[in-house]
Amino acid sequence: MLNYVWSGLIIFSLIFALAVDSQELWENRFRNDAALPVTVEFPDGFAPDSRRQPITIQIDTSTYKSFFGVQATPDSSYEGTLVQTKEGRQLRFSTDAELPEPLETIRAFHESEENNALRGTLQGDPFGAGIQWGTASVQFDPVRFRKLNAIAEAALNFAETAASLALGLIGILGLMLGLVKIGEEAGLVHALADVVRPVLRPLFPNVPEGHPALANITLNLMANAFGLGNAATPLGIKAMEDLQDLNPSNEKASDDMVMLLALNTSSVQLVPPSLLVAIMGLQINQLIFSIILATTFSTIAGILGTLALSKMPWFRGSAPHRNASPDSPSSSEGTSAPPSDS
Amino acid sequence: MVETIRSVISILSYFVLPTLLVGFPLYGLIKGVPVYEVFVEGAKEGFDVAVTIIPYLIAILFAIGMFRASGAMDFLVDSLDPVLGLIGVPAEVVPMGIVRPLTGSGSAALVADMIAQYGEDSILVKMAATMFGSTETTFYVIAVYFGAVNIRNTRHAVPAGLFADLVGFLASVYVVRLLFGG
Repeated sequence: MLNYVWSGLIIFSLIFALAVDSQELWENRFRNDAALPVTVEFPDGFAPDSRRQPITIQIDTSTYKSFFGVQATPDSSYEGTLVQTKEGRQLRFSTDAELPEPLETIRAFHESEENNALRGTLQGDPFGAGIQWGTASVQFDPVRFRKLNAIAEAALNFAETAASLALGLIGILGLMLGLVKIGEEAGLVHALADVVRPVLRPLFPNVPEGHPALANITLNLMANAFGLGNAATPLGIKAMEDLQDLNPSNEKASDDMVMLLALNTSSVQLVPPSLLVAIMGLQINQLIFSIILATTFSTIAGILGTLALSKMPWFRGSAPHRNASPDSPSSSEGTSAPPSDS
Repeated sequence: MVETIRSVISILSYFVLPTLLVGFPLYGLIKGVPVYEVFVEGAKEGFDVAVTIIPYLIAILFAIGMFRASGAMDFLVDSLDPVLGLIGVPAEVVPMGIVRPLTGSGSAALVADMIAQYGEDSILVKMAATMFGSTETTFYVIAVYFGAVNIRNTRHAVPAGLFADLVGFLASVYVVRLLFGG
């Protein structure tokens, strides 16, 4: 199941990215090979030999709209610089300019660590020395396979985040696991199990009075409630083995086993999981209340759901206790389970 | 009524972590546990746990990251919103509902991703964190517990577990709305 969800995420990302990219190329959304007409003002007059000079860039609104086929309107003017490069004269918009779409997307696509300004190459050499303003055409760097590039970048970034995130959790995880270990050694689980056991009794009708199964079930659930994941699993397996001893069938789950499972997956949580504390920090102070409440609902639903499902003809018919002949020993040969193969 | 509950919780919440921080050692001390040694013993596992979850975090985070970057996440949210809006469930928490029964560490990664995306105080993060805290990894528990006793026919275990998960998912949404507003 997880295999399908996981590979589905990856494959669907690729398909979706390719679809968006081909649509953008098809519509030529970024006018990859065309030049946008602009008006350039030189506050100090145009100096042909200057490597870098301040300018003001004006884009006519209706020209912009028809050029890109969009409704966004550019500001009346933008600060910028004109830079002489090997490839020709380059127009650089100020980095704090609020650009209209799709210019902002073009800027973001070509953004690098050293340079995050929108850059365009000036077509030809339209300005005479000393002029105060002139018109020119600017060609922006082409934007192709934007989303394809984005998913690759995201994969690398998030892989890096994952490792640094996990290492950042070490401290709080250690704190929580240390505290919880004290509770475990102090027998907190056993103390609460004594209180809870009578409540659980009616949920496991096939467990005889005085059988150790109920004790292990209670310990397992209490260990879960205290966020003792490591201690809970062996106790749960122990409880399962006890229930299997009482189960007339070798390979069919009994109603009691399903009930244990439902209680486990929906278990009431009194101490938040260490991992969540590490991720949420102080916020856990408030979240514990919503967690306790939500788990109360899900536990009630788990119990009622399991009871209702076991009454359904399909599942009731397959119940091992119902089909067992009355005189067959309920604890058949006391099998302790063969080693797990899953 | 709701206002009263909220203000009581906001006061009580100051005591949650201090209670844990003091309560466990105090209880241990009363029961005669060598608390310092046991604490250090437990805390050692912090490093192991963090290192153990790294592969799971990488697997889930990079896949979710790609899904988000491709624009597919926005598409999913936009198309689910009109339907889920009717029952008051924000579409942004749906990935959590899907991933939670499948992988525990993966859902932790999802919470972390949502914090980065929506901010720590976001109601969406509170919902996702409540979901994380309120159910177990159903399919893992089924595989481990039934595998240990060689049960092949799990009967109604999967539907029962998933039903509890679904109720936990919805309860998380509504409880968070009730307790924290929004």
